[in-house]
Amino acid sequence: MRRVGMILLVITVMLGSRGMARAQIDPGKVCRMDDGRLVFTLHLKWSEKEKQQLRELFDLDSTLVAAVYSGKTRIEAAGEIWTVAPAGPGIVELSKPLAAGVVTEPLPSDLFLLIDDWMDFEGSDQVSETVWGFNNLELRNAFVYTGSRAQFYLPGYEKAQSVFISGSFNGWSTSGTPMRRAGKGWIIDLELTPGKYAYKYIIDGRWTTDPVNRLRERGSAGAWNSVVYCTNHTFRLKGYEKARTVVVTGNFSGWNPRGVALEKGSGEWTLPVYLREGTYAYKFLVDGQWMTDPANPLERKDAQGYSNSFLEIGEPFLFTLHGFTDAQKVVLTGSFNHWDRNELVMEKTASGWRLPYVTAAGNYEYKFIVDGRWMTDPTNPFSTGHGDYENSFIALKANHIFELKGSAGAKSVILAGSFNGWNTDGYRMVRKGNSWKFPVRLQPGKYTYKFIVDGQWILDPANPLFEENEHGTGNSVLWIPAGK
Amino acid sequence: MESFLVSEDEISRYPFPVFPYPAVPAPSLLPDTDPLVIPLKRAGRLYLIEAVIDGVSGNLVFDTGARDLLLNRTYFRKHVTSGSVSSKGITGDVGSVELITAGKVEFAGMVFDKLTAEVTDLAHIENRRGVKILGLVGFSLLKKFEILFDPVNGQLTLFRTDAVGRRNNGVLPPFKADHLQKLTGNGHVVFLKGSIAGRSLNFCFDTAAETNVISSASHKTVLATIAVTRRASLKGAGTGASEVLFGKMNDFSLGTRKIENMETVVTSLFALEEVYNTSLDGVLGFSFFRNGEICVNFVTKEAGFRFVKGGEE
Repeated sequence: MRRVGMILLVITVMLGSRGMARAQIDPGKVCRMDDGRLVFTLHLKWSEKEKQQLRELFDLDSTLVAAVYSGKTRIEAAGEIWTVAPAGPGIVELSKPLAAGVVTEPLPSDLFLLIDDWMDFEGSDQVSETVWGFNNLELRNAFVYTGSRAQFYLPGYEKAQSVFISGSFNGWSTSGTPMRRAGKGWIIDLELTPGKYAYKYIIDGRWTTDPVNRLRERGSAGAWNSVVYCTNHTFRLKGYEKARTVVVTGNFSGWNPRGVALEKGSGEWTLPVYLREGTYAYKFLVDGQWMTDPANPLERKDAQGYSNSFLEIGEPFLFTLHGFTDAQKVVLTGSFNHWDRNELVMEKTASGWRLPYVTAAGNYEYKFIVDGRWMTDPTNPFSTGHGDYENSFIALKANHIFELKGSAGAKSVILAGSFNGWNTDGYRMVRKGNSWKFPVRLQPGKYTYKFIVDGQWILDPANPLFEENEHGTGNSVLWIPAGK
Repeated sequence: MESFLVSEDEISRYPFPVFPYPAVPAPSLLPDTDPLVIPLKRAGRLYLIEAVIDGVSGNLVFDTGARDLLLNRTYFRKHVTSGSVSSKGITGDVGSVELITAGKVEFAGMVFDKLTAEVTDLAHIENRRGVKILGLVGFSLLKKFEILFDPVNGQLTLFRTDAVGRRNNGVLPPFKADHLQKLTGNGHVVFLKGSIAGRSLNFCFDTAAETNVISSASHKTVLATIAVTRRASLKGAGTGASEVLFGKMNDFSLGTRKIENMETVVTSLFALEEVYNTSLDGVLGFSFFRNGEICVNFVTKEAGFRFVKGGEE
């Protein structure tokens, strides 16, 4: 039954995709420049979807296309004269003189953005927030991570004049991080936090992937980069010396049953990994047999009643709610758990409620649900939105504090910028001492922003960097460096 | 070897004032290494050179279409301006551009003192590429070297040369070109002769152009070879709109080498013609130069090409 269902599903998908293929026009066969005219070959049987695609690909006015399909032979649109002529059974040609549209110069910045959209560029190399990973080195001492010290070792290249390391940890700087000679190779020690890092060596000016690191991935520019993980946890299973394979799997890997193999050592199996801050469920498979981690007392049952081992990575943040001791149930909910209203039940204390919770560094909105009633955190002055849509705000491991000095008489100061979609009802700054402040956690990169003081947009008076905007009033510019 | 496409007669037909190219500045500090290899960073299809200018660190876009050093106003607005000029370009801006003197420009171990630079708004490039763009630099600071641009391996190699343009480092074999062209004029921009539909055309070689460009004023037989896949109507600097087409250039040849399937924009190049003071049929950008290496020598006035199989995307 299941097999039949699967076959039907496959057929449905195939038919669906054929239908979709039929609904796509081939842009290369629609438009051409011919004898000084711009010519579109249109099929009269095209569906509305295909006509829409035509309009979008070639920026054709909807009234122009509608006029073609209503049988008109001469159409005036946006100051241009278009003609329609039959070109075969069910086919017409819509055309206009090529030069007619060129009445002014395009702004180069507009042209740049247009081409950018057409070519779908991805921008610079930024390693995305990876949940987990592990190293795969050909030479064990090519990369060693202990404590917070990462040591990269490049064997060979003894005749090189200079070797630099460039990667996501130093903003891909080509000149900021020179390596030093060490024996028959080059070495560098860097202070790095746990995480995934892409890098390359620059040997006498020439980019080179790490020859003794098997782990590589393509950067957004298309070139290969080497990748290492600064690990922060080791899966460890003692004993089982006669087992052929031990693998670990968990919610960090989508519970892939193939798992990842642990390496057999003296009396134990181990696998050092990087896991992003958070809470994870996992299990071992010893020669295909599922088992929880015998060394980990923290186990929880899943919805089917099976036990899983649990692991928390990172320092927990203690959410507290004072009072409400008469309440039956208080739930913490927020953007960190997709606003799940059941998952994070708080523990009752003598004076209120508490819940230590581990989640990755970042900006989060949250609320408490006290016996079904939603409320903001009364002890947290930072919030976003207003009215029913006001949420408490917290920046875990904040790495920048926006500050506006003065404006003592202002009733409201909002922080709006590229980091929050220029939300004018977003980050509400808080008066502390003689200034307004708002702490945030931002990824490395460029941000533009402004303050809104009692409804009036202003540049950050303490920041000399600003750039032009479409209103002619400028936006302040902030760079968060790699590693901050 | 082929002759260069634009004759002095042709140039004189265009009524634009001759742009005064400043003298080629020499670095006050130069590393001992010869050749000097500069690793280029990539952001999208842009190639970047790490630089520090008057204490501000960031990147310069390697832009051989730039006449001179062009800086981003965001980081240099406090410099005293010494005048203004008009600037237009594929990656630049339109309108008033201030002139400043950058006290110290450092990159790849070289230091240049007191360089005249133009300042304009380059925020649109910076915001789309997510990297700090201090400005654009082309060949103007590098003309004293033989310059080898290797886009596939992301490096720019500068060879010191003698008075007649031969490499000083005799150990290094000269660049072996599959195709060689003569350069004309004394500017900092390289113009190349290519052909489409049997017509000889004048192209600007622009490492900051993320795609090729063909002038919408080109002959109809040239335009007929472009397979058009996109069109847009852009509002221009003045009133009215400008039509921009995008497609594939399939009939381009450089010498005897035919290069097909190059992404190409079709738009007006009048502004660029005005800037470069020459007739211009197109711009050869990433779609073109990903096919190989280019070596430019402003002393021998030669540009050579070595094609690689496959190229890079």
